Amino acid sequence: MNKSITVIIAAALMSLALAGPGLAGDNTNHGGDIVYTKPVKSVLFSHKVHVEQKGLTCDMCHARSFEMEALKAQENPDFTMESLYQGNYCGACHNGTMAFASNTRCASCHTGVKGSTVAQGH
Amino acid sequence: MFDKIKLDNLKNEGVENVPMKERREFLKMGFALTGIFAGGTIFSAVSSIDRVFASSEEFASKYPYKPHYSMVIHQDRCIDCERCVEACAATNHVPHEGYRTRILQRDVPDAVGQKREFIPVLCNQCNLPQCTRVCPTKATYKDPQNGIVMMDIAKCIGCLTCQEGCPYNARYFNEEKHAVDKCNFCFDTRLSKGEKLTGCAAACPAQCRVFGDLSDQSSEVYRKVHQIEKAVWVLRPEAGTRPNVFYTKG
Repeated sequence: MNKSITVIIAAALMSLALAGPGLAGDNTNHGGDIVYTKPVKSVLFSHKVHVEQKGLTCDMCHARSFEMEALKAQENPDFTMESLYQGNYCGACHNGTMAFASNTRCASCHTGVKGSTVAQGH
Repeated sequence: MFDKIKLDNLKNEGVENVPMKERREFLKMGFALTGIFAGGTIFSAVSSIDRVFASSEEFASKYPYKPHYSMVIHQDRCIDCERCVEACAATNHVPHEGYRTRILQRDVPDAVGQKREFIPVLCNQCNLPQCTRVCPTKATYKDPQNGIVMMDIAKCIGCLTCQEGCPYNARYFNEEKHAVDKCNFCFDTRLSKGEKLTGCAAACPAQCRVFGDLSDQSSEVYRKVHQIEKAVWVLRPEAGTRPNVFYTKG
């Protein structure tokens, strides 16, 4: 009995050890998911989609539109849709030419209150 | 090609009585017209001004209430920030477990482009409400002036028959009031005090909810419901309750 429990625990630890670096690796490689909650709840930015699927490199956004520190942008008073339409932040690419325009497909980026609770694991 | 059918004169035979062949024909037509993304039930696939029952001929020429309060919801503008839900709760003292308005989410993973949409819902303030019909104590009633479906909580016995009758699931039981509670377009909390908008419409950052008087031809809601360039529909038109909450996109 004791032996089988030990085996189960050992197996669980091993799977954690295997999965652990993998998850952390994803996050450190390209930043993971960022959930903005200001000025409205909430917008999900997926590094995975932008880096892995769309092939963007770090400096394409982090040179001018966004600082490296996550969620820094939403502290700025001009982090608004109006500002995006002027080509700032996401609007640098989401202008209808490089990527779909910021004033279209609202719920593609806005995952809402429901989205933020899912993202935060509630 | 087709004879002109006066839709309003047709008797509603109920969705359950549609023969299979007709159902299939209708679905084909629906797919051809709008693809599989037509919202709601199959019968909303061809919604247009004639089928938006509240504004069919008789109601369009003479809206029965003054003011005839109505809301037009731009569904594609909703981002589920839920400021409307928060504003509603604060204005009308809605407890955490209850709701007067909610945001529904619909995911279509196979869709091209946007794969998610949010649909704000609230009491439709129907012209032919089922809830008032089934209430045994007349605790819920249609206001004779403005057409809002009101609650007289002193008369409510909490039997919840109105909840069963409502096709829109717009009613909840409020433990504190010990009565059913529902959206009344903020009549007691805002409109009767001179405010022009409901709490939710005022709080929306995306101009998703347009509120106004449908009997006033210069109002925004009248213009939005009575144009033919963009589709306007109601939820669950087959319920035949002639809602006063309309939906559109764009």
